[in-house]
Amino acid sequence: MANKGWDEFEIGAMLRSFDGSIDDIAGTAQVDRTYSPSSSYTASVADWRLVKPVFNKDYCIDCQFCWIYCPDVSIIARDKKMIGVDMDHCKGCGICVEVCPTNPKSLLMFPEQAEEEAEIASWPAKDEEK
Amino acid sequence: MSEMKKIKNLKEFSTSADRFEGANLLCPGCAHSIIVREVLNATNDDLVLSATTGCLEVCTAVYPYTSWDASWIHIGFENGSTAVAGAEAMYKALKNKGRLKQPDRNPKFVSFAGDGASYDIGFQWISGCMERGHNMMHVVLDNEVYANTGGQRSSSTPIGASATTSPAGRVSYGEKKNKKDMVSIMASHNIPYSAQVSPNKWKDMVKKIQHGMAVEGPVFINAVSPCTTEWKFDPKDTMMLADLATDSLVFPLYEIIDGHELNITYRPKNVVPVEEYLAAQGRFKHLFKDEYKHLIKEWQERVDANWSYLQRREEARV
Ligand SMILES: Cc1ncc(C[n+]2csc(CCOP(=O)(O)OP(=O)(O)O)c2C)c(N)n1
Ligand code: SF4
Ligand code: SF4
Ligand code: SF4
Ligand SMILES: [Mg+2]
Repeated sequence: MANKGWDEFEIGAMLRSFDGSIDDIAGTAQVDRTYSPSSSYTASVADWRLVKPVFNKDYCIDCQFCWIYCPDVSIIARDKKMIGVDMDHCKGCGICVEVCPTNPKSLLMFPEQAEEEAEIASWPAKDEEK
Repeated sequence: MSEMKKIKNLKEFSTSADRFEGANLLCPGCAHSIIVREVLNATNDDLVLSATTGCLEVCTAVYPYTSWDASWIHIGFENGSTAVAGAEAMYKALKNKGRLKQPDRNPKFVSFAGDGASYDIGFQWISGCMERGHNMMHVVLDNEVYANTGGQRSSSTPIGASATTSPAGRVSYGEKKNKKDMVSIMASHNIPYSAQVSPNKWKDMVKKIQHGMAVEGPVFINAVSPCTTEWKFDPKDTMMLADLATDSLVFPLYEIIDGHELNITYRPKNVVPVEEYLAAQGRFKHLFKDEYKHLIKEWQERVDANWSYLQRREEARV
């Protein structure tokens, strides 16, 4: 590398989040954005999980506690409704289950290899002690 | 000024399109990203952001990935605040010269930094930003430790916490120095707004962030960020820890307007004993041994004294 003068510096790295330009990012839902390959949105941390949240919409009251407190932007909310978990970005922390206020809970943690339909079919009943 | 985003309730808030992305490398259950999401989602305006070296920066900008959907700068550990201040100064200059391509857009300038980067290593840079009056917000992700480098104590680490440079053991109960009161120090720069926030109280957070973005001049925000790795609790319990922090008054929520008008913004209905907050974290485990139990009592006394100090300041408007 050639020596730099006192008023020159090494250009740092610049990463673009999107391909092309989006004028109103805050008004464009994630699904409608054209992410570039350098956005971590295009990556997956699914292999971090040992346990995963399963969503049972039958008990959900769309309070959005899970949406606000999920650290990994993995609760998918559309038109004020909770519609599911983004399994590419969920790290299996279990916060969403802890903050879910319904009885029985609308989200529960299961081993990563569990079958979602089977778990929903055998969902625990209301806990009368709560 | 641009219109403030309307966020009446959580359902309405949930229609926000996040500008922070998952598949970053923060630990499962890390509160840093919960805080960042609440801050960014409080506005629809353009954002010019920075992060200092620390967990947030290291985990959200791992080449070739970025987790940010806005202009975002990283330079070093000490100077995230000045990076944003420089961008803000340039913006102002271009605006004054009429050289902005889209002068009607109203970007918000926000720097995020850890407690290590804010209370210690970036301290004079932040003080300079506050003193020079930049139109920017500095947000501390206060996990009370240098988490990214393995848990060394900072001047935010509270008394009795075991950190790797102030470990608890046979001859020591851990950290011996009191936590620095940064909100007051920053308010003493006579800035228009400084406040303490916590991610569990999202409404209080959004209100304060929106207020901070609306005022002209520098804003300082201290956000408690429970750290599953260094505080030593189960990742699922991050929000429980935040609840314990605010409801035990270890992290009281308040704001200081123009350097003197202090308002307490949250008064817990049932104040939780500090002991419960301490017991929920591995970093305080040793305090429950017989020889250190008196420290728990002293903790409670310190928290009580701080709470009455805040109430007196609120009343006196000083
Ligand atoms: C000038 C300088 N000193 C030290 C470091 C090493 N370092 C990198 S991150 C870090 C800890 C950051 O702690 P904090 O600011 O509290 O953020 P956290 O990781 O806890 O979120 C340290 C000491 C550095 N990068 N630059
Ligand atoms: S387990 Fe954690 S990361 Fe996954 S959806 Fe729930 S809160 Fe989000
Ligand atoms: S926290 Fe539970 S009830 Fe509330 S939206 Fe999420 S899944 Fe539904
Ligand atoms: S060490 Fe703490 S602050 Fe750092 S990523 Fe993990 S939980 Fe977050
Ligand atoms: Mg820290």
